[in-house]
Formats: sequence, C-alpha cells, structure tokens
Amino acid sequence: MDRLSDKYLRARKIPSTACSGCGLGQAHKAMVQAIDELDMKVNDIIWGTSIGCAGRQTFATWNGDNFAGTHGRVYAIARGLRLAIPPEMKIVLTVGDGDAFGIGLNHLLHAARSNTQMTVLVCDNLGYQSTGGQFGWTTPQGVVTDSSPYGMSEPNWVQPEMDVLNVIKAAGATFLARHVSMDGRALVDTCKKALQNNGFSLVHCVFPCITNFGKNALGSRNAVNMFNWIKNHAAPLGEEEENPEIFWRTGIHYDASNSRTEFSESLREQTAEIQRRYKDEGSH
Amino acid sequence: MKRFLETGNFAITEGAIMAGCRLFAGYPITPATEIAEAMSAELPKVGGYYVQAEDECAAMHIAVGAAAGGMKTMTATSGPGYILYADPYGWAIGCEIPMVVLNSQRVGPVSGITGAPGQGEFYNSRYPTQGGNYETIVLAPNSAQEAMELTVEAFYLSERFRTPVTILADQLITDGLEDISVPETDEEKEAMGLRFMERKVHTGPEFYPPSDEIDIPPVVLGKGTGAMCSDWTPTEEGYDIETVEAQHKHSYRMIYKIRNNKDIISRYETLFLDDDPDIIVAAFGTPSRTVKTAVKKAREKGQKIGMIRPKTLWPFPDEAFSRKSKYLSVELDYDGQMVREVQRAAPSESEVHFFGKCGELPTVAELHETFDKLLNGESLSRKGWEREAW
Repeated sequence: MDRLSDKYLRARKIPSTACSGCGLGQAHKAMVQAIDELDMKVNDIIWGTSIGCAGRQTFATWNGDNFAGTHGRVYAIARGLRLAIPPEMKIVLTVGDGDAFGIGLNHLLHAARSNTQMTVLVCDNLGYQSTGGQFGWTTPQGVVTDSSPYGMSEPNWVQPEMDVLNVIKAAGATFLARHVSMDGRALVDTCKKALQNNGFSLVHCVFPCITNFGKNALGSRNAVNMFNWIKNHAAPLGEEEENPEIFWRTGIHYDASNSRTEFSESLREQTAEIQRRYKDEGSH
Repeated sequence: MKRFLETGNFAITEGAIMAGCRLFAGYPITPATEIAEAMSAELPKVGGYYVQAEDECAAMHIAVGAAAGGMKTMTATSGPGYILYADPYGWAIGCEIPMVVLNSQRVGPVSGITGAPGQGEFYNSRYPTQGGNYETIVLAPNSAQEAMELTVEAFYLSERFRTPVTILADQLITDGLEDISVPETDEEKEAMGLRFMERKVHTGPEFYPPSDEIDIPPVVLGKGTGAMCSDWTPTEEGYDIETVEAQHKHSYRMIYKIRNNKDIISRYETLFLDDDPDIIVAAFGTPSRTVKTAVKKAREKGQKIGMIRPKTLWPFPDEAFSRKSKYLSVELDYDGQMVREVQRAAPSESEVHFFGKCGELPTVAELHETFDKLLNGESLSRKGWEREAW
C-alpha cells in the first residue's frame, strides 16, 4: 500500500480485483490524489459507484462511507442523498461509460440540470467490458467487439459534432472535462477543479481495457500496446486540429464552477424561507 | 383533533408528515398526483422537501437516496409508475433502507383506465422487484381515514424492519372525499392506535448480522460511520461478494426478519364469523365496503355469511382463513389474484370461489345474487367467461 492508500482507502479492497494491465487504477488514483491535495478528509466525502468494471472495482475502496447503486440510477440516488447529508460534504461517483452515457443518461442530464453537487468520474473503457466486451456509446467507429463482430457501425458520443459533453453542458452542468487515464498531473489538476465546484461536475476519463477491448479491437492483450493506442488517439484541446485519428480531445471543456446555485442549497434556502413564513403566521 | 372533509390523498399527506416524513419524491400520475401536490405545499412548512423527478424510477431512487442519508421519505404512484419502481425497490430491499411507497391502483394492464379503481397489483406488490429472496410488507386501507392511519403505521414498520413498506390503495381511496379526523395530541394519537418510531443510526462499520432480528437501526450514509451499502450480495461487513454462503445469510435475514415477526405486522378485520357461516367473503380496499354492506343485509335476510378483510396483504394473514367454509374472494380484477392466496390459506376441504370486477365496485345486488348462487350450489361462471377464471 502506498501513502494515499493508507490515508484514504480500505486495505481489504486494495489492490482491487481488476484485470492485470487495467487502467482503471490510474483514474481512481488521480481522484484520490486530488482529494489529498485539497486536504480533504475521509469523512468529507461519500463515495458512490455503480455497475460494471468501474463500479465494482471502486466500490467500498473508500475508507469512509460508500454506496453502490443500481445501474444508471446513482445520479438520482445522489440527488436524494444530497438533501439528507450535511451541505459541506461532497459526493464523488465513479461510474462507467455505459452507466453515464447509456442507461443513466436521462438521470445524469437531470442531475446536471438541477446542478446537484456530485463529482462524477466517468471511467470509460470503451464499451461493456465486464460482460465480455460489447460495444458502447463511446466505442470508436469500425472497431470490432463481441457485439459488433463486423465493426462498430454506429456513430458515438465523442465525435466532435455530437460530443456528449456538449449535451451535458447544454443540460446545465457547471464543470466538464475529458482525459485519458495516462494524463497524470493534468488529470489530477482537473479532478481538483471538479471537486471545488459546488455543483454538477463530470470528468470523462478513457482508460485501457486489455482483457476484452484490447483483445477484440486491437488483436492483442499487450498492455503497452493499448496504452500507446489510447495515447496516440488523444490530444489536448486545441491541438487536435482536423486530425480524424484524434478521438479524445483532452482537458477542461467547460468551467462555470460555482456560477449557479447548487440544487440542495437552493431547496434548503427556499424551504427555510417558507418555514419561517408559516411559523410567523402561526398557521400550518 | 382536527376534522376535515377531504380526499384520501390529503389524509395520506397528513399521516406521512405526522410520522416524520420530510422528503417526498414523485412524478405526476393519475390518481396519485394530488399526494405530490399536497406534499409540495405542506412539506416545506415543516422543513421538508418535495422533489419532482424525471420519471418514477428516478423518483423512488431519490427517495431511497435521501432515506439512505437518514431521512424519512416517501413516494407515491399508480400502476404504470409502480413498475418503474422495480429497480429502486430492489436497492431499498437489498440495502435494507426504510421508506414508504404508496400505489393508488387503477385499471390495467399498462395505462388502462386512468381514473377508475383496480386491484391488479396484489401480486406485483408481493414481488415489486426481481430476484426473489425477500418478503415484503404491504398494507391495504379501505378509507381515507384508514389511509392516514396506515401511512403512519407504514413508517413505523419500515423503521423497525429496515425495509420499504408499501401501501396498496386504489383510486377511490385516494380520490374519494371523506370525513377525516387528524389527531393532534399524543393522547389522541395513542387512542387511535398510531405507533411511531424515530430514525436511529446504525453505528457500523459492519452491515447486518445474518439473523431475523428487527429493531437494528439501518445503515445511514453521511454520519462518518464508514457505512457501506450496495446492490450486490453483501458480506456481514457490507463488502460485495459472490458466494452462495453470503447470499444464504443475506436472504435469510430479508425473509425471516419479516416472517418470524409477522405478529407485529398482521392486521385484519372480521365480521360474523362466530356461528360457523356458510359463506365467508374476503375483500380488501374499497370493494370491502360494499361487501360489508352486502354481508350485513344478507344477515338481515337470515343468510349465514361472514367476512374477512385483510389490512395487511403481505405477509398474507393465513391465520384468518383457518375455518373450513365456502370462501368467496371479491376483487377489482378479472383474473383472480387474492383468491389464490385464500385457496392456499384455507383448509384443504374448503370451497374457494371468485367474483371479479374492475374499474367500478361490485353492487350489493350483484353480491347478493352471487351469495344466493353459492348457497344453492350453483356455478359462478358468467356468460362469456368459461369458468370463474382464476
């Protein structure tokens, strides 16, 4: 165990049961490091997760309070939880690409609309990998998966003309970023900014799945091969030019941190005002 | 005591707030919309929150999420929304989180008839989510007044049993305008038989022991206890695990905390059972009121007819059906649902019959015709229906 693990994570769950060569730990660690650099304590955060590789491998790793919700519904659970917990506590969610951009997208958009504080780290392994490797909503076009044996024919949510981050931005999110898991320092800095927004923050982070995606799409379970493949298809925002080989435009896509009132804060204020009014009038 | 001429929806809201409900999450649906409206008006006055969700699936998840954070919460819907609760029901049952769900049944399947009463979710309420390995608690009021009282009881039971408790009402109960008495003092509440329990916090860090114990406080997130709850099979500490041994322990608790403490839950009303009646009629919810009138009038005619009205549908009050008799289950569905439980619970030599209607109540005349047929040993099958059809 390293210093961050000792300070924030449960010995029982670290190392996780992720496959050898999985990049999820890079994304996970970046968030924990961001928390540490912001000098936050274990009990400042409730850590929620969902289904699939991202949910299963990060559930109950946090040494404080943990929950794992139903597939795609954690954004709704978090909206309720947000009203019950102290306002200064933060909710961090580690979820998969299927969860955030597939089954849970409607709930996620409503969490963004209401600007409910939650820092959503979408750990994207480019499809449904824990079920064996089917295509998802960020799987690059043409790629072979277990459910696209002739190549993925559908467009996806990271194509520039239909970037899911634009959809979530239009829905009202106040912080949006995209990275690949090997972004290191830049990813940690982004996570710090995401955590400092008292509102809806989402960090989309692509990470390599060697076991299924690597095998199917790249024809190899060589980890270095896939790490390089992801790196070669990513470029910082503004540097991608018109290169069709760049799938992931990395960096902060939108930062309107703390520009809109947070959902629970506004509901708490309105409720307090109504309660005062009816107390003064002495009526119920 | 405050007196109102109001709807069941109003009465339910009064009961919930009295029981400590401070968050209601809902989605507009006939005939439960007025509960959401009343909650949106009343909850802020007592420091509570109304949240309107994008769909019923989210509504119940929001309510369970807040309950997991230590609040007393509720949601309400009708059939088409109730099926969208399947997902969060599973989470609440599996994580053992207390909350209250109300279903004002209308006519189904699917959207069916929106503003008319049905009872098609009798079995749905027993198995509101997939996977089995659990028992549920379901209460069935037959008036606005009783809807208020059973709402209070639902909150009480949910806290003691760490599980979502369902109130299975129908359109006539929630929409119907009736005389309602709302107690104000502790004495009035006690005289009405209302029971209350505050939310307590499980101090963790472990989850729950593999036993049928009740009154263990539920896990609460945000209290710094290191709490864990998930949709997966838990270890005794709350970690996720995939072993049949852990699933056995988890299932045992979810089933037997309710089965072995049924006496705390079970409620039913009986009428004219002491003289070995020739027919015992079973009914719950609104139709039980016309049944009661029909049974009383039949008695005046000298017919020996009795009645059982379950107020708890699940666990089903088998003990109420221990007499050998001719049973008649009267329900607001054509397929016959509760009748199957009556058949199972009644002594094997009993005859069990079914009278079904949907969207409107059976009339006293229809019921009397049915009683006469049964007393004469005639078949109840109706024209166009090959059998009693269940």
